[in-house]
Amino acid sequence: MLTRLYPPAWRDRYGEEFKTMLEMSPGDLGTVADSVWSALREHVIPTRGGKMAQETNSFGAMMRRPSAYLPVAMSLAALTMVLGAVAVGLARGGHVARDPDEGSIAHLFQLLMTVQWPITLFFVVKWLKSAPRQTMGVLGLQAAAWLVGCAPVYFLHL
Amino acid sequence: MRSTRNVVETDDGPGLGHYSDPPLLVLGSLANGPKHGHAMIEDIVRLCGTRLGPGTLYGAIARLEQQGWIAPLPPEDRRRPYRITAEGLRVLRARLTIMHHFAKAGLGRLEHL
Repeated sequence: MLTRLYPPAWRDRYGEEFKTMLEMSPGDLGTVADSVWSALREHVIPTRGGKMAQETNSFGAMMRRPSAYLPVAMSLAALTMVLGAVAVGLARGGHVARDPDEGSIAHLFQLLMTVQWPITLFFVVKWLKSAPRQTMGVLGLQAAAWLVGCAPVYFLHL
Repeated sequence: MRSTRNVVETDDGPGLGHYSDPPLLVLGSLANGPKHGHAMIEDIVRLCGTRLGPGTLYGAIARLEQQGWIAPLPPEDRRRPYRITAEGLRVLRARLTIMHHFAKAGLGRLEHL
């Protein structure tokens, strides 16, 4: 379980031998505290080099980080929700039903589209310096997903 | 917070603690041949009485590997031994030489007291 506290790239490289190491350790509070602290440090100042460099710097590895995929997922969830509401409106009345700003779908939409901003900001602050090209790629994807999420609201005047 | 516990009784007195520079301890341990993590911990205990925690040890291993001062060898069962590189030996020699000069000078001054 302690191994899971480390970043995925670190786990891929050292996870197996570290787990073996933990099995041979006393398993006292000191060992737990030491592992938790080291895992935290690895998140703040990640180790790069050898196989881990490729892993950390690839676009795919970047996209596996929650702060990279969560904003995209939130935009897509908002888009699905709006398109679902439009489809239901069309099926019931034959026209697109306009949801007032205080409606639950409108509130959920606004929440999904705004809560992702601090997540995106965190992602940029954490990764822009160490992997600028991949960060810009992920940022572009997040921006595109956000625009796609807003598109039905804009074009259908919802 | 590094987990380094002194397991050898010394008469350092209160407040002095024990020597703790995990990367240097790892380099020192690998100076006489490749070792895996657990063997390094036990060797470092024998060297200077400091027991590194697993997180601290692997933090040091990862950074030393990143700097090219140690290199991994093929795994044995689920354990992976590491060896010191030529650059690692050069760094270790330089650091120990400085420490040796410092220790020699410090002990020399104590003799004059």
